[in-house]
Amino acid sequence: MTAAELRTAGAVPVRPIAGGAYTRLALHQVRRGALVVLAVTAGMSALVATTYESTVGDALDPAALAALAENPAIRTLFGEPVALDSAGGFTVWRTGTVLAVLLSVWGLLAATRITRGEEDAGRWGLLLAGRLALPAVLRRHLTVLCGVMGLTGVAVAGALTAVGTPPAGAAVHGAGLALAGMFAVAAAILAGQVLPTRAGASGAAVALLGLGLLARMVGDGVAALAWLRWLSPYGLLALTRPYREDRALPLVVLALATVVVGAVALALAGRRDVGAGLVAPAAGRAPRRWLLGSVRAFAVRRLLRPLAGWSAGVGAYFLLIGVLAVSMTDFLADNQRFADLAGEAGFAGLGSVRGYTATMFALLAVPVGVFAAVRMAGFAAAEADRRLTGLHAQPITRGRLLGAEVAATGAGAAVLLTVAGAATWLGAAAVDADLPVLAALAGTWNVLPIALLCLGAAVLALGWAPRAVAAAGALPAAGGFLLQVVADSTGAPAWVSRLSPFAHLAAVPDTAPNWPASAVMTALAGAALLAGGYGYRRRDLRG
Amino acid sequence: MSAPAVRTDRLTKRYGRLLALDELDLTVPAGEVFGFLGPNGAGKSTTIRLLLGMTRPSSGRAWIFDTDAADVAGAHRRLAYVPADVALWPRLTGAEILDLLDRTGPGTDRAYRDELVERFALDPSKPAGAYSTGNRQKVALIAAFATRAPLLVLDEPTSGLDPLMEREFRRAVTEARDEGRTVFLSSHQLAEVEAVCDRVAILRAGRLVDVATVPDLRRLHRTEVLVRFAGPVPDLTAVPGVDSVDPGTDSAVRFTVSGPPGPALRALAAADVTTLTMREPTLEEIFLDYYGETGR
Repeated sequence: MTAAELRTAGAVPVRPIAGGAYTRLALHQVRRGALVVLAVTAGMSALVATTYESTVGDALDPAALAALAENPAIRTLFGEPVALDSAGGFTVWRTGTVLAVLLSVWGLLAATRITRGEEDAGRWGLLLAGRLALPAVLRRHLTVLCGVMGLTGVAVAGALTAVGTPPAGAAVHGAGLALAGMFAVAAAILAGQVLPTRAGASGAAVALLGLGLLARMVGDGVAALAWLRWLSPYGLLALTRPYREDRALPLVVLALATVVVGAVALALAGRRDVGAGLVAPAAGRAPRRWLLGSVRAFAVRRLLRPLAGWSAGVGAYFLLIGVLAVSMTDFLADNQRFADLAGEAGFAGLGSVRGYTATMFALLAVPVGVFAAVRMAGFAAAEADRRLTGLHAQPITRGRLLGAEVAATGAGAAVLLTVAGAATWLGAAAVDADLPVLAALAGTWNVLPIALLCLGAAVLALGWAPRAVAAAGALPAAGGFLLQVVADSTGAPAWVSRLSPFAHLAAVPDTAPNWPASAVMTALAGAALLAGGYGYRRRDLRG
Repeated sequence: MSAPAVRTDRLTKRYGRLLALDELDLTVPAGEVFGFLGPNGAGKSTTIRLLLGMTRPSSGRAWIFDTDAADVAGAHRRLAYVPADVALWPRLTGAEILDLLDRTGPGTDRAYRDELVERFALDPSKPAGAYSTGNRQKVALIAAFATRAPLLVLDEPTSGLDPLMEREFRRAVTEARDEGRTVFLSSHQLAEVEAVCDRVAILRAGRLVDVATVPDLRRLHRTEVLVRFAGPVPDLTAVPGVDSVDPGTDSAVRFTVSGPPGPALRALAAADVTTLTMREPTLEEIFLDYYGETGR
C-alpha cells in the first residue's frame, strides 16, 4: 500500500519514537553548568595534586599524621585523613568533600530545574503530549545528568592519573565523586515526584543531602557512630579510602542506592498526574492576610519560609563548630606542624578558640553570599515567568520593587549572620570554650561585606544580564573562596589570591576588623547595587 | 475636554533588527471601549507593554491621561491591567492575591469585588497553583474590574474563559463603560470586539492599518451581492465599484460592491432580476480581507 492508501485505511505510517530529541533537550538545558562543574572539579583536583610537593612535601612525619588522623575535630570538619603522605591522598582529603558537595548540589538543582521546574512552568504539557510518557521522559533527563556526573568522574580520574598519582586511587576517587553526584540527581528527581513544586523538591533534596553530610561528620568524629557513614553518600565516599585501600564495596553500596532511588522515582512518576505531585497541596484554606499590605511586606513574606530553612542549616553547622572548638584548638596547639600547614592553606591561627572560630566564620561568607544570590535569582525568575507582572502593573516604580527585595534579602543575610554567631556561641558555651557572645557576633558580622558584594553582584546582573543573576551573585563568595583555597594550596603569586575578597578579611574575633578593606568592599557592593538598579529601571522587563 | 485615556506619538519598538511596532499614532478618548485587533505577532502585546512602561520605546512616546507612560507610579494610579497569560504566586490563595493587588494598587471597590467573585464563580480559597488557566484569568479580571481605575487595559482577557464566563466578562465591560471608564481591549476574538467595542484599531505586522467605528468598518468594506436573473446575465466586470465577479450559473451572479452602489444598480436595472440578496460582511470577513493573502 502507498502512504495515501494507508491514510485512507485509517492507518498512519508509524515512525520510530525520536527519543534522542528528549535527550538533546535535557542536554541543552544543562550543558553550560555541566562544563563549568566538570572543569572546576577536575581542574581543582589536578591543581592540588600537582602542587603537593611544593606545599606539603615530605614535611609530615608518621607521628604527626597519626595525631591528625585520630583527632575527632579534624575528622569531623575535614573528613578522615587517609593517605596524606601521598599527593593523591592529600588531594582527596583536601578537596574530596568540597567537590562532592559542589557536584551534588549542582546536580540536584539542575535536576529539579529541568524536570519539576519545567513541569511547573507548564512547558512539559506539550512535551508529554508526544509519544513518550512521563517516566520515559524523566528517565532520559536522569540519564543525561548521570552521564554528566560520569564524565566528571572520568575527568577527575584522568586528571589525577595524568599528574602522576596511582591510577587505582584516582579511579576510586573519580567513581566516588561521580556516584555521589548521581545519587543527588536521583534523590532530587524522586523529590520532584513526591512534591508538587520545584522549590519544595529542591529544598527536600538539599535537606536530605545536608543530613547525609551531618551523618558523615558525626560518623567521622565519633567512633561509636562510625557506622552512620554507611548511610550517607559523603560517608560512603570517605569509606572508599582512595590511595590507601581503594575499597570498592562502598562504591557498590552507593551505586545500588542510586539505582534504587532512581527506580523508585521513575516508578512513582508513572503513578502521578502530570503537573501534580504524590503529595497534593491543600484544596483550599482560609486566607492568611498578614504581610500583604505593601511590596516591602510581601518581600518579607516570601522570604520567611526559605530563611527558616537556611537558618536551620547554617545554625546546625555553626553549633557543631562551637562544640568542637576546644578539642580542635587543643589538637592544633599540640601539633605545631599542622598549625603551620593549615596556615599555609589559609587557615591561620587555629591554635586558639578565637583564631579557630575566626577561620570558620570566614567560611560563613559562602552560604550567606549564596543565599543572597539565590534570593535575587528567585526575583529574576519571578519576573521571567510573569509572577511579578501583577505588581509591575501597580503604581509602584521598579526602583521600589527592587528596593524592597534587596532590603528583605539584606535583612535575611543579617539574620543568618546572627544565627550563626549565636549558634557558635551556644556550642562553645556548652564545652566551656572562651568565646563571649559579642565576640562570636563580631566574627560572623565581619563577613557581611562579602555577603553584600554577592548581593551587589546579583543586582548588577539583574540590571544588565538577568539570566546570570545566580552565577554572578555567587561569584564573590563561592568563586572567591575557591580562588583563595586554590591559590594558597598551590603557592600561586600573591596577587592572584588578593583578587579574592577573602584575602582582605581580618580574622575577627582573633584580630580587629580590617575596617578599610570592609569599607572598600561595602563601597564596591554599593556601586554595583546602584549600577544594577540603574540598569533594572531602564531595561525592558522579561516575561 | 478631558485628556485622552491613551495617546501615542510615533511609538516605535525595535528588537535588534526586528521592527515590532512602527510609528504607532493612536488616541483613545476617555470613556470609550476601544478594540485592538490583530493576528498573533502583530504587535498588540508589545504596544500594551509599552503603554504600561514595562518595555521602553525605541522612539516615540505614550501617555496615559497625559501622564508619560514611563512614569509608572503616576500612570498606573489610573489604570488596571489584565495580561494575556496570567501567572500568579502559586502558594497564595485567590483571596490573598486579590488582597495583595488591592492593597498595593490604586484602590478597590471591595463590595463590587465580592460581587464579581460570585459572578465569575471563583473559589478564592484555593491556592493559585491549583487554578486552571481560566481561573487565573478570572483572578486578574476581578482584580482589574474591581479597582476604581478609570482605564482598563485588557490583553486578550477571555482566551481561557468558557462561554458563560465570557458573557459575565461582557457584562462587566458594559458596566465599566456605564461608569464612564475607558476599556482598551486587545483581542482576536471578533465576536467579542463586535459586541462590546465602540471603535476598533487594526494592527498588522507592527503597523496601524485602520481605526474605525464598528459600523464604519463594515460600511467601508465590500457588500456581497447575489443576483438571480430570468434572462441573460449582464456583464458586470467593468462596472466601477464592482469586484470579485463570480458567474456562478447561467442565471445568477455573485459579486462584491465597495463604495457607492449606484453604478452597479444601474447596470442591473436593465436586466431581468428575479432575486437580489445583499449581505453585510461579518467582522471576520473584514478581518480576513485585511490579513488574507489576497488582501490589500
